[in-house]
Amino acid sequence: MANVTDFAASRALILERHRHLKWKWLDPVEAGLMVLCGICIGGFTVCVFFDVTTRTIGHPWLWLQQATTAFFAWGVFIGIAAATRRNDHIYLAEITKRMTGMKRRAIETFNRSVVLVVAAFMVWFGYKNALLDLGSFRMPWLIPLTVYTGIVPIAGLLVMLFSVEQIVNGWQHGFEGPEDDELLREPVE
Amino acid sequence: MSSSVLLVVMAGVFLLLGYLGVPVAFAIIAGVLVATAFTPVSFQSIIGQLFHGIDSETLLAIPFFLLVGELMSSANVVYRMIALAQALVGHLRGGLAQVVTLFSMFFAGISGSSSADVAVLSRTIAPEMDRERYDRAFTAALIASASTMANLIPPSIMAVVYGATGNVSIGGLFLGGVVPGVMIGVGLMVYSYFFGPVGTMKKRASAVDVFVAARGSALPMVIPVIIMGGILTGWFTPTEAGMAAAAYILLVLIPVLNARHIRRLPGDFMYTGLLYSLPLAAVAGASAFGWMLAYLRGPDTVAEYISYYAGTDPRMIMLLLVILFIILGDFIDAVPAIIIFMPIINKLTQVGHINSVHMGVVIVTTLVFGLITPPYGLSLLIASKFVGVPFYRAMFRSLPLYIVFFVTIAFTMLFPDVVLWLPKLLLPQSVGCFPNPSGAGWICPK
Repeated sequence: MANVTDFAASRALILERHRHLKWKWLDPVEAGLMVLCGICIGGFTVCVFFDVTTRTIGHPWLWLQQATTAFFAWGVFIGIAAATRRNDHIYLAEITKRMTGMKRRAIETFNRSVVLVVAAFMVWFGYKNALLDLGSFRMPWLIPLTVYTGIVPIAGLLVMLFSVEQIVNGWQHGFEGPEDDELLREPVE
Repeated sequence: MSSSVLLVVMAGVFLLLGYLGVPVAFAIIAGVLVATAFTPVSFQSIIGQLFHGIDSETLLAIPFFLLVGELMSSANVVYRMIALAQALVGHLRGGLAQVVTLFSMFFAGISGSSSADVAVLSRTIAPEMDRERYDRAFTAALIASASTMANLIPPSIMAVVYGATGNVSIGGLFLGGVVPGVMIGVGLMVYSYFFGPVGTMKKRASAVDVFVAARGSALPMVIPVIIMGGILTGWFTPTEAGMAAAAYILLVLIPVLNARHIRRLPGDFMYTGLLYSLPLAAVAGASAFGWMLAYLRGPDTVAEYISYYAGTDPRMIMLLLVILFIILGDFIDAVPAIIIFMPIINKLTQVGHINSVHMGVVIVTTLVFGLITPPYGLSLLIASKFVGVPFYRAMFRSLPLYIVFFVTIAFTMLFPDVVLWLPKLLLPQSVGCFPNPSGAGWICPK
């Protein structure tokens, strides 16, 4: 049965699960992304709090809504990148966990290659979108839309990096890990 | 390539990659990109849709309801609510099973996430059920089934997503979910009483014990009042209500009930920051999928197909949609399913002249059933992992509980007046009522 240690482990700043698929030097990036996730959700919680408060006292700060949207959108895409390194995404099936050897290596490589290609699309076309959005502005402070959409290619770049990390380490050490049978995973709907 | 073929290719690529083990969000986007390659639509606009899909103030409610659930479980404040449930129903046959269900009803009023409910129950009551020699498969099946109420009894993340993408009143959906949510709870309690394991029979708690337990859980039980009270009085939007509940936990509940937890709050925020991105990543991908589906005239194709069999009969339309969503819920997560199929639901709601809140409640009730059905019964998967029992055993043990869900879905579909009673009473405008120009009261569409 899942215990308190498992619960705490799944919340660690740097997840030790799938350690064999990770480069140590990228750990600070994972930790940084987790901190940013916290800052984003904390940021928009504070923004919505003050949005309601200032509106209630009759002096609304309109810029708070823009800041809220920015924190929210950035949080989603930063979270996508962090979840890629932590293998925390939502999966329809985890059939590879029951596989071993060459079969597993082939499918795991294929799966991560799909993620890599989609991330490459996010980088290139997200970058082009961000350039285009320099000409679009959000009211009332006329902030360029790029401030919001710029996170898409950045997240794509990080996802690419983490996918490459997992593919290279998977080929070096194998994709199988002791955690395949453990209960550390905590998926979310 | 014709639109129909492209639709099949897009859906096929998504399901194939998804079941091969590609994360849902990336599998959806890959399906859309493959279809896009055969259309004049630019890849740039599809990638842009990823951002626009989540650029909605209403979707902000999701992280808040997740944050509320995480803070409550992480700070161990939920023990007080479990104590109250134990005092109220712990003496009945299958006492701990009754506690699981009643606590889930309480917790559903606080958190909108079934996963949070499963995590809390698996860590708190499941070990006790193990000690009382409840069959682990039954424990997992019951916890998973009871957790579905989190998406029916307000607040509900599924209702937020449905309301935000379908332009339906979220307050109305919240209130409409109460009847099916309570029905599932009562159904599970009745099943546990007559057919579940007996457990250890305990003495009925005295009135004083019940009072003490109620007083102990009074502070946490204010949260549903903040959320629904704020929405019903028009004081808060659902997003702001979620924030108010989170602020209440941070500023009142944790300092008063578990002050030592304050130093662990940064960790809670970081973890919830990661958690909320997961369903919203699927939302981003699904909105691109829904956009492409609309471009390929998918809603018209499916709507014509369903209309061919159902005509404009609202019950028949809903029955076919329920069958469709029971099948979909077995294979796809509820959030992307709602977004992808929303254009089809909207079209059929118009064809059958169905109340949009009623349709939303029926769809959400059907989709929560998907949380416990194989192969992708997310709640059952998590519960079986946490409780430590093979998925297939938990699945077989949950089969009799399906009856509760079938009855609830059928009731929700066939008795719109009962389902819409609360929304009509407390939030009449959410179901299309408008103030009577010649006096007091409301005029509501039939």
